[in-house]
Amino acid sequence: MLNEEKIKLMTSIGMFEKREGKRVFLMNRFFRSDYIGQYILRAFVGFTFCWIMGTVLAVLYKAEDLFNTVDFSVLPEFAVWYVAAYIVCLLAYLLITFVVYWRRYEYAKRGMKVYVAKLKRLEKRYDLQGKLGHGGKKL
Amino acid sequence: MMGLLVFREKLRSFYGKYDAYLIPLMKFALSLASFYLLNGNVGYMDKLKNPVLPLILGVICSFMPYGIISFLAGLLLLAHISSVSLEMTLILAVLLLMLAILYYGFQPGDSYLLLLTPVFCHLRIPYAIPLLVGLSGGLTSVIPVGCGVFIYYIIQYVKQNAGVLTNDASLDMIQRYVQVMRNMMSNNLMMLMITACAVGIVVVYLIRMLSVDYAWHLAIVSGALVQLGVIFIGNFVFDVPVPIVELLVGTVVSTGLAFIYNFMVFAVDYSRTEYLQFQDDDYYYYVKAVPKITVSAPDVKVQKISAAKKKRSRDMYER
Repeated sequence: MLNEEKIKLMTSIGMFEKREGKRVFLMNRFFRSDYIGQYILRAFVGFTFCWIMGTVLAVLYKAEDLFNTVDFSVLPEFAVWYVAAYIVCLLAYLLITFVVYWRRYEYAKRGMKVYVAKLKRLEKRYDLQGKLGHGGKKL
Repeated sequence: MMGLLVFREKLRSFYGKYDAYLIPLMKFALSLASFYLLNGNVGYMDKLKNPVLPLILGVICSFMPYGIISFLAGLLLLAHISSVSLEMTLILAVLLLMLAILYYGFQPGDSYLLLLTPVFCHLRIPYAIPLLVGLSGGLTSVIPVGCGVFIYYIIQYVKQNAGVLTNDASLDMIQRYVQVMRNMMSNNLMMLMITACAVGIVVVYLIRMLSVDYAWHLAIVSGALVQLGVIFIGNFVFDVPVPIVELLVGTVVSTGLAFIYNFMVFAVDYSRTEYLQFQDDDYYYYVKAVPKITVSAPDVKVQKISAAKKKRSRDMYER
């Protein structure tokens, strides 16, 4: 005989595994600091790469002016501003990365708790069914 | 009204029944529209201009995630533009790569907006995108929508200046590059449209989230008016040429589309709103519950009773 409550429980577990499973189970393998850390590192590399590409575009755009009116005395000051801008933008981007992945980890942790609780409930149902016999009725 | 609600329920049940076929079909339609848009406007590479190619790509893209479809569309765009201007290809490739790394590194899953926005711009209803995105998405969608508008205007720029970009042999590569960059950055219409879209999304999103009656309707109307306002300001203050009739017609059509979307996903009955108040150990709760308008689609079954059967039953009765 069909057990409606068990079917509902299994459906919700199945839906969670299908929708969130891949992401949440992967996150669950890491400590929070490790999980966020790997994305921070990835964001650092990605941002630095993009900054370099952006710099190349800007230098090419301003190349003529730069080489025509080159003044070596302002180069150190310009370099300081350039590095400062890079650091400020990098920190802002890393902060956004941290917030995004921290929230994702928290969301996954909460989802995982609910998932495990549902699994335990399902297991209890099976235990109960086993004690009562098939179909949930005493033999 | 009841007829529309029944129609909506029928559509919903139809989608629920055949979503396995409808989702690939939608992907096919979007990718086909994007590839034809590219081939029709900037189809400068003869090898890729074959009209069968978008069809084949469309069929392949039906089974791909939107990220891959956007990637393929980006490659097609770069390939076509490389036949006209290597400088423009370099700029666009770098900007698309930066977008992919900095924004899509977060895997936000809204890369379909990169395709949909240029298509809507081409259909002269770009104002629908901020309204629909503000109703359905989040504030971060400003980035892909802005990039979609940018891509559309790049396509238009290349289309209008293809001859100049190809034949300008008097300038060296760096000079051509500077010229392209300068033209792109001085495209005030593009900047204006990006600003209008961004402001539209923010306004629609913020009003939609308010806990007031008819918030979605208010959001749609406000979003449309704000976009009009931004474009008019740009027109008068910064002297950006805007075709007024096209703007007004586009806004009306876009608003209509947004209202259809609202009807399909957020039909609620504010006259039956209920307010609840309760508490637990830590909080007081003030709950506003707005019931959804739901009707059940009539399930009509026609049962045919044949004349022969009728006759037989009458005979039996007479006996």
